[in-house]
Amino acid sequence: MSKIMTVDILSSIKGAQPSEAVNKLFDVIKNANLNNSNAFNKNHNNAVSLNDLREDVVINSSAIEKEIIIENFPKEKNDYLVVSKVIEE
Amino acid sequence: MESQIHKIHQQLMAKEFTCTKLVQDRLDLLKSNTYNSVNSLLDKIALELATKVDAKIESGQEIGLLEGIPFGIKDVYMVQGTYTTASSDLLKNYKSAYTATAIQKLLDAGAIPLVKENCDSFGHGSSSENTIFGAVKNAINSDLVSGGSSGGSAVNVAKDYTVFSIGGDTGGSIRQPAGYNKVFGLKPTYGKISRFGLMAYASSTDCVGPIAKSIEDIRIVLNVMSGKDIKDLTTYQSEKISEESILNIDEIKTIGYFKNFIESDAIDAQVKADFLASIEKIKGKGIEVKELDFFESDTLVSTYYTLAMAETASNLSRLDGTNYGARIEGDNLKNTYSITRSENFSDESKRRIVGGNQVLSQGFSDEIYLKGLNLRDQISNNFEKDFKEVDIILSPVTPNTPPKIGESLNNPLAMYLSDAYTVGFSLGKLPTLTIPKGTGTGLQISAAKNNDALVLQFANFLNDLI
Repeated sequence: MSKIMTVDILSSIKGAQPSEAVNKLFDVIKNANLNNSNAFNKNHNNAVSLNDLREDVVINSSAIEKEIIIENFPKEKNDYLVVSKVIEE
Repeated sequence: MESQIHKIHQQLMAKEFTCTKLVQDRLDLLKSNTYNSVNSLLDKIALELATKVDAKIESGQEIGLLEGIPFGIKDVYMVQGTYTTASSDLLKNYKSAYTATAIQKLLDAGAIPLVKENCDSFGHGSSSENTIFGAVKNAINSDLVSGGSSGGSAVNVAKDYTVFSIGGDTGGSIRQPAGYNKVFGLKPTYGKISRFGLMAYASSTDCVGPIAKSIEDIRIVLNVMSGKDIKDLTTYQSEKISEESILNIDEIKTIGYFKNFIESDAIDAQVKADFLASIEKIKGKGIEVKELDFFESDTLVSTYYTLAMAETASNLSRLDGTNYGARIEGDNLKNTYSITRSENFSDESKRRIVGGNQVLSQGFSDEIYLKGLNLRDQISNNFEKDFKEVDIILSPVTPNTPPKIGESLNNPLAMYLSDAYTVGFSLGKLPTLTIPKGTGTGLQISAAKNNDALVLQFANFLNDLI
């Protein structure tokens, strides 16, 4: 199953290559000193309280919203929205 | 207090001009402008709304403070039925199906949207040159960049085409163009304003904020847009900031600045001298000023870009031409995805998507992405420590004055490094305002999280002092 995926495949961008400018930024991170590794996760307190979760209900889009969503769809044929041919690998 | 909104409100009520004339005049200015600040005009809806305001005034009814006030919207916000392109080829024909919460609140208050404003594509840039609508020119010197990514919004405010504009700030995208075009721009505390309907760049630092010509106008617009929104669970309930509360600075005894920002080799000599002169004026008013230690600029910039690229790679993966976006058909689904994305994303957006996928991939995530998260925590801890010692942190907005148009696109690393003074406050989720005084590109005022009122208070003091 193990398969090496290059960045062009991961990014779905033909011929994509890592850039020199961006690699320079990453080098700074690689070489940075972490003087307090216990800090990790301390500030990740953005969890939402169960009381704040919104109701699990289906909200129907308005007619105008539905119309615009269909208008935005790239391809339509005989009232069906068309996607590209899916291939199995 | 100086306020363009109050002034126009009074003029409308006194029937010095009609709302229709006000809106039409501004639309004409936007249409004929040569700064490339406009992606699309919302003339039909704007004039319809103006007619309603005029009818209300004519019948002797009171109008709200924002009713009839013309404003601009960075072209990354959903406004139902309008083109929302993110200045990209991929979405150049995309129409919003719904309206962003922040914008809806302004519409509910009666403000009139005039324009979807030019910006860097998907917020990817610091110069507003990464756009299919042409580089946005600086309002003061049109040979220079407007800054970015909310460049069109800052220019429209600076040129009085809009009374205020709504920008988006992920790593400095409101504060830096505000500084480059000499207007006020606020990045509020993360979560103060709902991001629902803002096209996501880096969700953990994306902020909605106003650009305007006065602190009072920033306060008015901030109050209208703030508040908890069930559609963005990072939002919180916040108190409205009153005009009286920002009039005196009794609470501010001590401010600080980052020594290494000012002692850096990268800072322009004039920016440094002007900054230090501003500090002396503040000291002269009896406020204590402390020098603070902070992370090196390259660490801040690298941490920010590592995390922002990882998040944008994930957020933009949905743009594949299948559900929406300008699809370019390949011989199968995978090829359709990759041709669509290769042809329709700009070089800068591709650079960031590829960078993001690099750091998120196996083997790299530990030594780059997770380490970046760890550094972010250390930066936040540093701010917490600092705000136990000082009430406000003051810094220049940028190390240098705006570059010429054409220089930034050829040197992405230099562009990333130009964000050195803004990205830290984004990572810390702090409220930070650009005031167009004190250095050639202004000063940044930051306070602890949720302390947006203190930022406005100090800005008001500084505005009178400098």
